[in-house]
Amino acid sequence: MIRTALLVAGKDLRIELRSRVLLWQVVPFGVMALLLCGLALGPAHAGNSPAGPGLFYLVTLLVTLLMINRSQAVERTSGTRSSVATLGLDPAGVFLGKALALAVELWVTGLVLLAGAVLVLHTALHGALVALPSIAVTLGALAAAGTLYGALTAGGDGSATLLPVLALPAFAPLLIAGERSFSAALHGGALWEWWVIAAVALVAYLAVGILLYGVLEES
Amino acid sequence: MSSAESTPDLSPVSPPKSSSRGRWRSIGVLAVLALAILALLSQGLLHSLNYFETVDQVLAKRASLGTEVIRLEGVVKPGTITRTSSGASFVVTGSGDHQVYVVAHGSPPQLFQANIPVVVVGHFTTATSLTFDGTQILVKHTASYIAAHPARVKAPNGSVR
Amino acid sequence: MTKQLFPRLLGPVTLVLLALTAWLGLWVTPRDAVQGNLVRLVYVHPAVAWVALYVSFGTATIASVLYLWKRTRSIVMDRVAHCAMEVSVVFIVLTLITGSIWGRPTWGVWWAWDARLTSTAILGVLALGYLALRRANDDQALRARRSAVFAILAAINVPIIHFSVDWWKTLHQGATVFTANRTLLIHGLMAWTLLVSFLGFTLLFFWLLRARYRLEVSRERALSVSLDEALTLRRREGAF
Repeated sequence: MIRTALLVAGKDLRIELRSRVLLWQVVPFGVMALLLCGLALGPAHAGNSPAGPGLFYLVTLLVTLLMINRSQAVERTSGTRSSVATLGLDPAGVFLGKALALAVELWVTGLVLLAGAVLVLHTALHGALVALPSIAVTLGALAAAGTLYGALTAGGDGSATLLPVLALPAFAPLLIAGERSFSAALHGGALWEWWVIAAVALVAYLAVGILLYGVLEES
Repeated sequence: MSSAESTPDLSPVSPPKSSSRGRWRSIGVLAVLALAILALLSQGLLHSLNYFETVDQVLAKRASLGTEVIRLEGVVKPGTITRTSSGASFVVTGSGDHQVYVVAHGSPPQLFQANIPVVVVGHFTTATSLTFDGTQILVKHTASYIAAHPARVKAPNGSVR
Repeated sequence: MTKQLFPRLLGPVTLVLLALTAWLGLWVTPRDAVQGNLVRLVYVHPAVAWVALYVSFGTATIASVLYLWKRTRSIVMDRVAHCAMEVSVVFIVLTLITGSIWGRPTWGVWWAWDARLTSTAILGVLALGYLALRRANDDQALRARRSAVFAILAAINVPIIHFSVDWWKTLHQGATVFTANRTLLIHGLMAWTLLVSFLGFTLLFFWLLRARYRLEVSRERALSVSLDEALTLRRREGAF
């Protein structure tokens, strides 16, 4: 299972590295969304706004949706499905691999967005650094949940528009947990409480994915 | 699906290595899932999802609150309600002698009355004062229902929370 | 004969119970000491919410689990899950509407960002997402599998909604009937009317579910018949 996971994760990351979709499409989109958040708040409120952590996670969610679609599109290219089927790969391993690859991509994008938030929204740098572990775990949970929901919607009619409807309600608790622990890192408060919740969500989504990914992919 | 159909003569995929191994893994994963949920439940459950803070809680951390906007919950003390031109002023109480004087703007809801629990959105007027400047009053009614004319219905024990 | 009796009686009994609820709730039961006539919403909103969260969503979830379990996998389970979820959407929307109507005069607001209200709204979006997911796939087996998995994932929200009023301090009131220390907070005729309303709306669910299920079966049959007809026509064209 672990070997399959590393194999799949390596494959996905190599594809991402060579196609540079992440670099040229997803990251610029995220930065633009962050700028739009600043514009929506207005010049008087954009700097050091209490909404900063929430907006950071909102933009991250939008970026995640794009990346889930991308992660599933890679799987749908001609020949991939049949070769995965004939190789007899463990579906749980495939799930873990895709979730790991997505998590790595999200961590990279998250760092860029965090830097953007510090620069544009004047989020305190020290607080942002304190929030890093919780952001890493929350993005990990997003990646696990996203891989599951990506597989649920992949292939059908309009899967790109279906994904947000199905995934965003599931992401809502993660948004709350991430936002609260980020706010706690900035202004003091229950940092660990929310960090634990994100970690539990990560474990829960990984467990559900390991159990059910095979059911979704079997044909 | 269509790509699988068009591929000629797919040799059969070898059967899963052993179903018992898969079953043990499922059981293990479910156990981890149960543990995770228990861990969540033992965490004192996400206290910051609370809709409001009680008078007691607010007074306990009065110093750190400053003039931050909060939602304050307390019971309206009888005899303290004064209707003003812009709203109402009254005293909300917690347990014991904990109480906060509220000056609220905007018309209070229909059910607003003495002895009813309310949630007031607003902030303290200064960093140290105990006067609360309310922008909205929400009535938090209880889950018990008592007949207005008790003679018409029989309450088995008569005691209602 | 007896097999036919129960389904036939379902509709009339439902209507009688709902009419009884309306009569008791609007004319017979007394006004509440605090809420006055607003208390009469207690004979609608809790029962509708009960059906939305537990009866219909529960039916959809159990049917989904039974579908995924290989020993009980059948198209019947898939159809039941689909139909129950559709009814659930209706009841969740009704829950939110009746709650809103009750909230405005009592709390003073139509909507509050309270744990129970927010999680119920999210459940509504999840139920709509389930229906959207079903529309997106044409392959029956794939659609059934995916929607079953999604229904189970969505059902995690139901216990959260149920316990939200105990776990967190919410504007929404706590339980009246299923209280922690098992004391009923409603008495006499008001309690009986509440019970009648719960029975009435629960039966209404099963009535609607049955009608929807039969509609689904006819729809599938009509689809296959029209396909057969089209094929026959096409073959006849070829004969010339």
